[in-house]
Amino acid sequence: MIDFFFTYESLFDLILVNALLAMSQYVVLRAGVFSLGTAGFAALGAYGCALLVTRAGWPPALAIAAGMAIGTAASVLLALPLSRLRGVFQAVATLAFVQIVLSATQNWVELTNGALGINGIPKVVGLGTLTVVTLLVVAFLVAMGRFSFGRALDVIREDETVAVSLGISVPRYHRIAFIMSGALAGLAGGLHACNSYTITPGEFGFQMLVNVLAMVVLGGRTSVWGALAGAAILSTLPELFRVFADYRNMVQGVLMMLVIVYLPRGVADSFIVAVGDRRSRQASAVHGPRHETAVSVVHAAASDAGVRP
Amino acid sequence: MTQTLVLENVARHFGGVPAVDGLSLAVPAGRITGLIGPNGAGKTTVVNLITGMLHLSAGRVLLGGRDVSREEAPELARAGVARTFQNIRLVADASVLDNVLAGFHRHEKTGLMANLFGLPSARAETARLRAEAMTLLERFGMAALALERAGSLSYGHQRRIEMMRALAAQPSLLLLDEPVAGMNDAEAESLAGIFRAVAGEGVAVLLIEHNMRFVMSLCSHLYVLASGRLIAEGAPEVVGRDPRVVEAYLGA
Repeated sequence: MIDFFFTYESLFDLILVNALLAMSQYVVLRAGVFSLGTAGFAALGAYGCALLVTRAGWPPALAIAAGMAIGTAASVLLALPLSRLRGVFQAVATLAFVQIVLSATQNWVELTNGALGINGIPKVVGLGTLTVVTLLVVAFLVAMGRFSFGRALDVIREDETVAVSLGISVPRYHRIAFIMSGALAGLAGGLHACNSYTITPGEFGFQMLVNVLAMVVLGGRTSVWGALAGAAILSTLPELFRVFADYRNMVQGVLMMLVIVYLPRGVADSFIVAVGDRRSRQASAVHGPRHETAVSVVHAAASDAGVRP
Repeated sequence: MTQTLVLENVARHFGGVPAVDGLSLAVPAGRITGLIGPNGAGKTTVVNLITGMLHLSAGRVLLGGRDVSREEAPELARAGVARTFQNIRLVADASVLDNVLAGFHRHEKTGLMANLFGLPSARAETARLRAEAMTLLERFGMAALALERAGSLSYGHQRRIEMMRALAAQPSLLLLDEPVAGMNDAEAESLAGIFRAVAGEGVAVLLIEHNMRFVMSLCSHLYVLASGRLIAEGAPEVVGRDPRVVEAYLGA
């Protein structure tokens, strides 16, 4: 068992960093913000942290916190113009932000060392730290989802018109979700930098953007468990599919399409809904007749027959 | 009688085509006022204008004597205007209880940080609102379904959730947009009792309906809209005999 962990330690590290990035993407999608900014904020967090450690000699823990602060600051600046946009325009605006950050990491050679990336970052973040941080973030996101804030996000995502009719200020919640996303991605970036000796611009490119989005779509975007499941699956698959070698991406693509078509809620959220529905069917089988009125029997019959005016 | 809502010569044009044209009406507190008319008369447009979801082309909207013509929808909602939607709009994957809880939004007082971190004040508030929501669910005969997924329930139950969400806001003005569409008479009658009780608590209710018979039995005053214009108003029994109303409905 211990050997297993040592052999696959780098895989577990990868899963946890990806889980943090996926949660950054989850927060915005849960609020109905189509932000693709996670990769950009992660790059800012990682480079900020790496530079502070290697050039300025900051202690790594402080540098990671600074990476998170940089991600937060960038998202605060972007949040104001972004909350005036909707849907695909938010996607394009955040994509442009990612492009700007990426060109800076590639072309601002004096600061970022260009395509060579930054080397010699002490590896101070291991599986233990990543696990603790991930658990804390999960606990935070679960708590966030259970009260007024989470309810407001759900209504906004499902139907902005309803949100507005209930007095919910959509731009305000969009801004808060976006800033949380930036903070989480900055944190993930800083942890990643201190976990892998070296960072290069290529890691934060289009591949990361697509991967992180795919994790949340595959896992499910209405509960935090979806982001975790998606990160675990999409980080592990390349290892499992080594035998397919060149066809790895194709297999992954086919899997994504199957999930989108047959489990549109995502793996984890579909599972949660299925368990919930099964439980309530069992409950109504046991207690049903007591609560059923003539009216609801008619309704049940109508909905069984698929009748929905 | 205090008028909770007054519309003065309200108009709304869509690209030169008038959807509502020179409409004036008053909705008093503690009464159910009806707004009826054939399909396409502009009834839902009126609801959207009152709730701030559409802007007026002309005229004024007064809420409790205050001119709210320029106010946006969220401000009006916070000022006590609640509505239901003609086409049901719920968070399908959330529980019945959570859908109703969302309606309490304007009464939630705990700060952002308390909510984000799940501090005791947020927990206490949600627990208190949950109890209030359960009272509403009992009133609508749906307490046993509190934890069901809203999207898995029947059409009639989903309509009730819409109403409970609107009532959770404890509005001073409640706009019901075709609340009994697609329901049978027995169900409609059970809801009529609830509407009467709500009005009895002093809420101004504007009932938008297509179903003439249902409105007749409930409303103290009726406005009849056809092609965006008011063609008749008055007590239900008078309006029901008005030849212009009969013509608009039957197309004679």
